[in-house]
Amino acid sequence: MGLTADEFTVQFISTLLKFSILAVILLQVPPIMVLVERRIPAFMQRRKGPNRVGLFGFRIYGVLQSLADTIKLIFKEEVVPTGAHKAFYHLAPVFAVFPALMIAMAIPYGPDIQVFGHTIPLSVVRVDVGFLFIFAISSLAVYGVTIAGWASNNKYALLGSLRASAQMISYEIPLGMSLIPIVLIYGSLDLNKIVEAQTHIWKWGIFLSPISFVLFLIAMFAETNRTPFDLSEAEGELVAGFHTEYNSTKFAAFFLGEYVSMFVLSCLASTVFLGGWQVPFFDVRSLDQLVGFTGVGAFVGFGSLFMKAAFFMWLYVWVRWTIPRFRYDQLMSLGWKFMIPLGLINVVVTALALAAVRFS
Amino acid sequence: MSELSNFMSHAVFHALAGLITLVSLMVVASKHPVKSAVFLVVDLFLLAAVYATLESHFVAAIQVLVYAGAVVVLFLFVIMLLNLQPDQLRGLRFNAPEAVTLILSLIGMFIMIGVSVAGKPTGLGDGSLTVEAIADGGGNTYLVAMKLLTDFIWPFELASVLILLAIVAAVVIAKKDHKDQPA
Repeated sequence: MGLTADEFTVQFISTLLKFSILAVILLQVPPIMVLVERRIPAFMQRRKGPNRVGLFGFRIYGVLQSLADTIKLIFKEEVVPTGAHKAFYHLAPVFAVFPALMIAMAIPYGPDIQVFGHTIPLSVVRVDVGFLFIFAISSLAVYGVTIAGWASNNKYALLGSLRASAQMISYEIPLGMSLIPIVLIYGSLDLNKIVEAQTHIWKWGIFLSPISFVLFLIAMFAETNRTPFDLSEAEGELVAGFHTEYNSTKFAAFFLGEYVSMFVLSCLASTVFLGGWQVPFFDVRSLDQLVGFTGVGAFVGFGSLFMKAAFFMWLYVWVRWTIPRFRYDQLMSLGWKFMIPLGLINVVVTALALAAVRFS
Repeated sequence: MSELSNFMSHAVFHALAGLITLVSLMVVASKHPVKSAVFLVVDLFLLAAVYATLESHFVAAIQVLVYAGAVVVLFLFVIMLLNLQPDQLRGLRFNAPEAVTLILSLIGMFIMIGVSVAGKPTGLGDGSLTVEAIADGGGNTYLVAMKLLTDFIWPFELASVLILLAIVAAVVIAKKDHKDQPA
């Protein structure tokens, strides 16, 4: 860490700034998604959905519904169930939100920018083992769900949390395994380098390793406990699963954790498989010189990543309202008997193909 | 390294060291098994933070991934499934095994303190593994991978066979009870 005092100050201030901006952006994801998740299915089912809430007589397509929902959640009375384990009951939402916000820091949101002669990377922390960092932290997400279910002193909550933790541990393996071919192909664990390698549309991960993409997509749904894998909160069987006993702000915290981790995994999928901040047939980094104003390229790059992530978020909603929930044994056999073997074969085939290309 | 970042890294290290000691004590002292498990997670996470301050990001990530993310989850799982209550467990009482363990750990602790007070600890290599040298050699991950898959390939493979054996043994033990039941 050979930093001069000047560089140290720049790094400190820029990291603080980036973190604040990112936190503000991430906190906007749940309210927007709540509205999207009610309006899109309404559109799919030929209903109107929530379009009434407005201010001073202006309805603006019900955009303010989320604001109303948030206010309602905050001002609800908090009821702590009798016999709940107090400390863990209050701590569980923290465990649910913390990993989601932390992995968001490692995603490269755009190309490096030059500010006052300093090169600043557009990820909050630039970790040279970005992949491992993301997996390490996202493996901690299990604790929020597990502890919430256990601390609530409720049978349904406990069953939901046991299901969720078994499911998340099982699908972490194919999730990690699906990305090993990507690491092999681009030869780096650094997310920045992987994005920079995807200069052309045919060099995107989705074309170089399509099986990885399919495996990642399935595991991504399972890791965030979304339909068709939302066994942990199957409302037909378990009331609401692990968050049955939660209400008010703590329930909102679980909401926040779920949507933020969906968004971050969407960003990761776009980064790895869809070229991240790269725009097809065009180098965003050349924009700065073209326009003559620094930061334009970074802005366009961020927009590109954001559009790709938005596509995955929409996919989440689309799948939720299309495919019914799996049965638990189906879920486990899909994970262990299909995805893990396929992932292993994918790794071996990719390694062999790479060896054939490199040593021929 | 500048004065400021030097001071910062020392401050961070000592803060982490203090926290780790405190949390480790809580792991042992907690009456409630779930509490112990959660403190263990925090402990392992903070230990990973120490690795990260040593610029060893690979080891830090693996530490969190394997221990905090997988091993302790299974601990927690078992504790919750068995629904262990604090009153079902013996508290801290000094039977013969506990006393021996306590004495042995105290001896170990004093040896470690003595060695670190006495000066340069032994067994740390010749000092060629500086942060700069590792960065020049291609980075932490690359060097660990090269060592593991060339010089230490046999120990590495043997370790994986050992783990495979344990898995097979677990499956055999789990299967035995269900032999005479209809499938």
